[in-house]
Amino acid sequence: MKKISIDPITRLEGHGKIEIFLNDEGDVVNTYFQIPELRGFEKFCEGRPVEEMPRIVPRICGV
Amino acid sequence: MAKLKLALYWAGACGGCDVAVLDVNEKILDVANLADIVFWPIALDFKYHHVEAMPDKSIDVCLFNGCVRSSEQEHIAKLLRNKSQVLVAFGSCACFGGIPALANFATRAEIMERAYIEAPSNENPNKTLPQIKFKVDEGELTLPELYDDVLTLAQVVPVEYFVPGCPPTVDLILKVVNALATNSLPPVGAVIASEKTLCDECDRKKENKKITKIYRTHEIIPDPEKCLLEQGLLCMGSATRGGCGSLCVKVNIPCRGCFGPPAGVADQGAKLVSAVASIYETKGTEDIEKMVNEVVDPAGTFYRFGMSSSMLKRKHLQRK
Repeated sequence: MKKISIDPITRLEGHGKIEIFLNDEGDVVNTYFQIPELRGFEKFCEGRPVEEMPRIVPRICGV
Repeated sequence: MAKLKLALYWAGACGGCDVAVLDVNEKILDVANLADIVFWPIALDFKYHHVEAMPDKSIDVCLFNGCVRSSEQEHIAKLLRNKSQVLVAFGSCACFGGIPALANFATRAEIMERAYIEAPSNENPNKTLPQIKFKVDEGELTLPELYDDVLTLAQVVPVEYFVPGCPPTVDLILKVVNALATNSLPPVGAVIASEKTLCDECDRKKENKKITKIYRTHEIIPDPEKCLLEQGLLCMGSATRGGCGSLCVKVNIPCRGCFGPPAGVADQGAKLVSAVASIYETKGTEDIEKMVNEVVDPAGTFYRFGMSSSMLKRKHLQRK
């Protein structure tokens, strides 16, 4: 099966890649969208002072 | 003069550094006159294979933002290092680890568990976690390996220049562009910002007085004319490099240190701990305990942007 990789996805905020699987006729069998990144805001914001959140979480997305 | 070849890349980042480049507004046209952009995922549709096909050292300057936390980010850092004559750590994440380096207070397993299993917005009854390789009916999918530690760019590859800031300010970006345009880059290793501390550049009145209480930012409205630290707010200005234009302190908000340590300071957090300890009125052990207890999040405050490049680097891992 032939695979087309679009890596990286561009002109958006964040990281992503797309894998497209094609059969012998060249038709799309399946497509997978993947996020190859994790920073962990869900974890590292825990326990930090609530009044500091407006200075930390804007860095989730700066676009 | 032939046009420069310029690349911009984001690793573990939020995109704010890329947007900061666009914030130069109409001066972006000067950049376009000066340089052809050969890679910039946020704005242009070049792929990794385009970069791989470029001859070594064929990119004149690469502005690399974001921390390095995965095998993909390390791979691209090494790729762009090989392809670029000048590699610039652009922004606080690439320079010091930045906000993402707060993850160095947790383990990779804790982060994965929280993000993919525990977080209330998840529906993941089988507790599936991202896999480096995953078989699907059509073939195999791959994801980069997430490393234990958040690293700076210079911890992975040699770097020529450092442009700090979360994000770098327009003035600093134009300073870099002008240095490129006039071929007047500073000596290799230079931090392109101020040589002074933020404290040196701050207009607020300092009275060299002692404090008896450390306040959280929501507990008081500080006097806009006076030093924030002397009003009991933890301001990182004395332990932070200047050059930001005093953006936060000008709007009555204490500095959190995004420009990193000033010249000659090995550890920004330790420097501020020392500054706070010396300004706090202490007559005995009880006062010292009171001071320590008033700092609600010492690690996340003193090392807000600099955990990766600090002497601590990360919370100690219990390895089995």
